[in-house]
Amino acid sequence: MVRKKGYPEALEKKLHDQRYYREDSNPEFLPKVKAISRTIAHMCFQCGTCTGSCPSAPRSTYRIRHFMRRAVLGLENEALTDPDLWLCTTCYSCTDRCPRDIAPTDVIMAMRNLAFKRDIIPVNFLKTVQAIYSSGHGVPNNDVNRAARERLGLTRDPPTTHMYPEYVKGIQKILDHYKLKANADRIVKEREG
Amino acid sequence: MAEKKKASTKKTEAKKQEVKHEAPVKQEAPVKMEAKTQAPAKVPVTTGPKVKPRIGVFICHCGTNIAGSIDIKAVEAYAKTLPYVVHADNYQYICSTPGQKKITDAIKEQKLTGTVVAACSPRLHEPTFRTATKEGGLNPFRFEMANIREQNAWVHMHDKEAATEKAKDAVRIAVAKASLLQDLTPKTVSVEKAAMVVGAGIAGMQAALDLAAAGIKTYLIEKSPSIGGRMSQLDKTFPTLDCSQCILTPKMVDVGRSPNIELMTYCDVESVEGFIGNFDVTIRKKARGVLSMPEAEAKGIVGGGCNGCGDCEPVCPVIKPNPFEMGMKPRKAIYIYHPQVVPLLYTIDWDSCVKCGLCVTACGEKKAIDLEQKDEFVKVKVGTAILATGFDLFPIEKKTEWGYKTYENVVTSLEFERLICASGPTSGHLIRPSDGETPKRVAFVLCAGSRDNAGIGKPYCSRFCCMYSLKHAHQIYEKIPGVASYLFYMDIRSFGKMYEEFYYRIQDEGAKFIRGRVANILEDPATKNLHVYADDTLLNRPVDMEVDLVVLAAAVQPGWDTDRTRKLFGVSCSSDGWLLEAHPKLNPCGTTTAGVFIAGVCQGPKDIPDTVSSAEGAASAASIPIHKGEVELEPYFAMCIEEKCAGCGMCVNLCPYSALALVEKDGRKVMEVTEAKCKGCGTCGGFCPGGAIWMNHFATPQIVAQIDAFFLGGER
Repeated sequence: MVRKKGYPEALEKKLHDQRYYREDSNPEFLPKVKAISRTIAHMCFQCGTCTGSCPSAPRSTYRIRHFMRRAVLGLENEALTDPDLWLCTTCYSCTDRCPRDIAPTDVIMAMRNLAFKRDIIPVNFLKTVQAIYSSGHGVPNNDVNRAARERLGLTRDPPTTHMYPEYVKGIQKILDHYKLKANADRIVKEREG
Repeated sequence: MAEKKKASTKKTEAKKQEVKHEAPVKQEAPVKMEAKTQAPAKVPVTTGPKVKPRIGVFICHCGTNIAGSIDIKAVEAYAKTLPYVVHADNYQYICSTPGQKKITDAIKEQKLTGTVVAACSPRLHEPTFRTATKEGGLNPFRFEMANIREQNAWVHMHDKEAATEKAKDAVRIAVAKASLLQDLTPKTVSVEKAAMVVGAGIAGMQAALDLAAAGIKTYLIEKSPSIGGRMSQLDKTFPTLDCSQCILTPKMVDVGRSPNIELMTYCDVESVEGFIGNFDVTIRKKARGVLSMPEAEAKGIVGGGCNGCGDCEPVCPVIKPNPFEMGMKPRKAIYIYHPQVVPLLYTIDWDSCVKCGLCVTACGEKKAIDLEQKDEFVKVKVGTAILATGFDLFPIEKKTEWGYKTYENVVTSLEFERLICASGPTSGHLIRPSDGETPKRVAFVLCAGSRDNAGIGKPYCSRFCCMYSLKHAHQIYEKIPGVASYLFYMDIRSFGKMYEEFYYRIQDEGAKFIRGRVANILEDPATKNLHVYADDTLLNRPVDMEVDLVVLAAAVQPGWDTDRTRKLFGVSCSSDGWLLEAHPKLNPCGTTTAGVFIAGVCQGPKDIPDTVSSAEGAASAASIPIHKGEVELEPYFAMCIEEKCAGCGMCVNLCPYSALALVEKDGRKVMEVTEAKCKGCGTCGGFCPGGAIWMNHFATPQIVAQIDAFFLGGER
C-alpha cells in the first residue's frame, strides 16, 4: 500500500513511493494466468533469455521478463495496465529458448485476455476484430497483394473466406458467441465516438 | 469429498464386520503355519516348537512428524487387540536411548518373542531397532518395522483419520509377520586383500594411492592409453592458479611407481562376478600394438619393449587429430597423448593404422611393435571396487542457438583450456580458430546447457563452470594486454573455500559481469566476429555484444562408458545418469551393492578439491572390509526344501546372481544355493512350481500372513 504524506499534488506524484508492498499483489493473478496460459509461469528464474531473444525489446520498452516477474509476484494492475503488454509480436522465440520450459508468449496472451475482460485493449486490436468479422481476415487482401499474387501465378484471392465469402458467416457466429464483435464495437465507439 | 470419506469409513466398517465373522478361523491360522515351517529340515526354527508368539508393539511419535498426522493413542489401543500382542507402548522418539530401553525392558519383562516398531523407514532405523532387540536378548531378526512416517504421516498430512486407519493396517501387517519370524544368523565371508579402481583420473588415482598406502594391492583400470583424466587437460586450477599438470604429474608418477598399484591402462572391465569380498573381474587388455618392457621380456625379447623413445612416430605416414588436444593438434597412428603420459608407452590406433610397417623398422632391435597383437583377457580377484568413471562435456552443438560447430570462433571451455595451456597446440597463445588472431574481446557463456529443463540440456548445475570461467577471464587478462572479457551469467556460484575471494579478485581485474543468460549468438560472415544477444537483466536492456571469441561453459554429463561399467558392477544411476550413492548425505561414496563404491564426478559434478575428498572417502570405505578381513552378509538367502525339490532346475537359469546349481544328493538331483552369492531377491522363490524354495526372512508363510492380515483383518 502506497503511503501518502500529504504534499501538494505535483510533489506527491514526484516523490511517489515506488516500493513493492505485499498488498500490491493479487494472489489470484498467478493462478489465473497459469490456468489460461497452461504454462508453468511460476517457475521463471529471471535469466532474461526471453528478452534477449525478443525482436520487440531492442526497439521498445517491452520487456517480457518484466511481465513474467509481475506474474510471479501477482502484480495484476501493473501488468494489465502497462501498454507494453500489446507489443509482443507472438514470434515465440522466447518460448523456443526458455531454459525453464515456460511459454512466456502464452503468459502474455493470458494477460491480454484478462486485460480485455477489463476493457483494456488498444483500438487497433479491436479494429482487427472488426476486420475479421467482416472479411474473415485480420489483414484483408488488397489490390497491391492481388497484383503480386497474379505475378506469382496465384489466384487473385487466396482459397480462404476471400474466395469463399459464404463461410464468413461461420466466423461471425464464433465471434458473436463470445460477444467479441459487440464488445469491440462498444469500446471503439466509447473511445472514438 | 465428505461423501467419499463416509463411503470409505463404511467400507472399513464392513470389512471389520466381515473380519469378526472370520476371526476364530484366523486365530488358528498362524499356528498352522508355524507347524508347516517346521517341516523342512534345513530351515532353522528356534525358540522350540509350539511356543506361542508374544509380540511387543512400539509406536513412535517422531516429535510431531508422526504424531501430527496420526492418532498414536488410537493405534496403540488397536495394537493391543491384535493376536499375540502382549505389550504395546509409545514414545516421543523410540530411536533415542530411553526409547530403545523400552524395547529391551519389554523383551525381558514380557518375555517377548518378537518386536514391532511403527516409526520411520527401515532404511533409517532398522539397524537401531535390531540392535535394541538383540540387547533385549532376542535374535535381531525377530524385529519387524512398520513404516508409518515416510509412507503414511508425511503423505497424508491433511487426513488424520485415514492416516490413523492406514497406520493400524501397517501395524497389523507387521505383527502378522513378527509372529512368524525366526532366528537367523548372518554369514561371514572372507575378503580378498585386493581392491580395484575403475578410471584413472584424479579421483581414481587418489583412491588407488590411498588404498596402496594402506597396504592393499590395487588394480587401477583405465580405458585410455594414459592416466591423468580430465585434470591433465586443464591449464590452471582455481582458485590457487596452480598449474594443473604440475600438481598432477607427481601423483601420476607415484601411481606408476607404487609397488601396490598394478596399473592397467588401455583396458576395459569385461565382466564382474561374485560379491563383496570376492569379486572375480575379467579385464580386457585392448591390443595397443606395443609391448611394454616387461611384456617384451616375457616374450623372450631381451632388453626390448617400448622405452618411449618416439622413433616410431616421425616415420608413421598417417595423421589424425589428437583427442587429448580436443582435435586441435595432429597425432600419428602410433601415438602418445602428450609428453608426460604415464605409462610412457606408445599406442596404435587400429582404425587409422595402414600397417605399412615403417614403425616396426624404426623401432629396430627393441621389437616393441606388434602389428598383429590381439585383445587379451586377464582375471583378477578383488575384495572391493571403486568406480571413478568421470565425465564428458555435453555435446553443446545440440543447443543450436549458440552456434558451436557452426561458427568457428565459438569454442568450449575444454578447448579454451588447451588453447591457453603452454603445452597445448598453440603453446599457450590464445588465438581465435578462424584466423589465428589474438582475440581482444572474449565472451564467456555460463550455464551453457546446465540448469536447462527444456529437454535439450541438463537440469542440474554443473557446479564448476562458474569458477573455471572466472579463471579463464583471469588467464586472458594475464596473457593479453587490453583484452576485455564479458561473463554472461545467471548466478555466480562461488561457494568453496577462497572461491568468493577469487570472484572479487577477477572483478577487480576488470572482468565485466552481465547478469543474463545468452539468448543466441550470430556470426558476422565478413569478420567472423560474433554477436552475443542477451538481456542485461540488471540494466533492464537487451544487449548485442560484438566479440572476437565466445567460450561456452558447456554442461558436463557422465562419461560415455559409465553406463556399461556401472551395470557390470550392479550400481544404479539417477535419471540424469550420474551413479547413485547409497545415501546422498550420509553415505555418498557407497552404493546399494555391498563392496562397490563411487568416487569423483561419476557420482555428480565436482570440482577438484571435492573430487579428491570423495576419492579419499571412497578409498577409506573400500579399505574397511579388506582390513577387517571378513564381512557379514544379511542372512536373507534362499534355501532349498529338498523333500519338495523336483530337480527341474528352472530356478538355476532365473537367478540373476548365478547363486543356484543342481547337485546330486541321495541319488537324485536337487537345487543348492551358494549362500554368499545369493542376494535374497526372491526371484527363484516366487517362481518355484513346487514351493520348494524357502526365502529366509521373506518366507511364503510370512508373506501370506501379511497379505491375509491386510485383506482379512486380524483383530481379536
